Amino acid sequence: MSQTILVVDDSPTVVKFVSLSLKNQGFKILTASDGMEAIEKISNLSEADKVDLVITDLNMPNLDGYSLIEILRQNIKHKDIPIIILSSEDGDDDQERGLQVGANSYLVKPFKSSLLLQEVTKYLE
Amino acid sequence: MSNTNTLQNKIQKEITELTRSINTIIDNFKQLKNPLQESKEKVPVATNQLDKISEQTEAATNHMLDLIEKMSIREDEVISGLRELRKLFPENNEKMTRLLDIIIDKVNLNANDAFTLMNALQFQDITSQQMNHAAALLEEIEVKLIKIQEVFGTATESDLAGAVSHQKKGRVYDPHADLYEKKTEQKDVDSLFNKVKTDS
Repeated sequence: MSQTILVVDDSPTVVKFVSLSLKNQGFKILTASDGMEAIEKISNLSEADKVDLVITDLNMPNLDGYSLIEILRQNIKHKDIPIIILSSEDGDDDQERGLQVGANSYLVKPFKSSLLLQEVTKYLE
Repeated sequence: MSNTNTLQNKIQKEITELTRSINTIIDNFKQLKNPLQESKEKVPVATNQLDKISEQTEAATNHMLDLIEKMSIREDEVISGLRELRKLFPENNEKMTRLLDIIIDKVNLNANDAFTLMNALQFQDITSQQMNHAAALLEEIEVKLIKIQEVFGTATESDLAGAVSHQKKGRVYDPHADLYEKKTEQKDVDSLFNKVKTDS
C-alpha cells in the first residue's frame, strides 16, 4: 500500500510542484491550503487511512506552520508523524523555532525536487 | 522714546515676517493636498495590479505544471512501450537493441529536463511572495497618507477605517523570499537539525 503524504501550503503552485515531485515516486498525496485545513484533513481520516508524513509551509493564513506542528506534536495519535518544513524563511531564528516546535527537517525554498525526495525517503522507507 | 520706537519697529517687522512665513507654509500645505489625494488614490490601483500579476503568473505556472505532469506520464508510457518492444527482438539483434536504448535514453533526458523545468517554476511562488510584500507596504503607505490628510482636514476617520478594511485580509507572505540570494545553505540547515537531534 502506498504511503500518504500531506502537503500543506497556501501557494497552489508549491502544492502542485511538491505533489508532482512525490506522486511520480508512488506516494499518495493529500493537500491542504493552511494549518486549519490540514488539521481537519488529518482528523477526518478513518482508522485505516493515516498520514505517514507532513510537509508544511510556515507562513499561512488561519493557522501557520508552527502552530500546526505544535498541535500535531501535542496529539497522542499524531505526535510521531515526521514533519518537514518547507519555507523561504532562511533565518536562524526560523529554523530554531521550527526545531523547537518539533519539525524533523527544514528545507529552504526554492529547493530541488530531488532534495525533497531524498528528505522524504529518510522517513518513509 | 526713540529706543521704544526702534524696538516696536523691530517687533512689527518680525511679526510681519512671521505672518508671511506662516502664509507661505499654509500655501505649501494647500498645494500638498492635491498630490496627496492623487497619491492616495493610486495606491489601491497599484496593489490591485500586483495582485493581478500574482494571479496570472500563478495560473500560467499551474498550467505549465499540468502540462509537465502529462508529459511525464506520456514519457513513462513511451519508455515502458519501448522496453516491451525490445523484448520482441532477439538478443542478437544488437543494432535494434542499441537503437532502442538510445531512444530510451533520449526520452529519459526529456523527463529529466521536464523535472528541471518544474524546479525552475518555483520562481512563481517566490515572486508572488515578493509582490505580496510590496502590496502590503503600499497598503501601509495608503493608511499613512490618509492619516496626513486627516491632519489637513481632507479625510475623516471613516476614510481611514475604510482604507484599513480594504487592506487585503490574509495577505500572508515570506518577507525574505528570494530566488537567488539565499543567506543560508541547505547543508547549514541540515547540520543545525542534526546537531540538535544528536544533543537531545
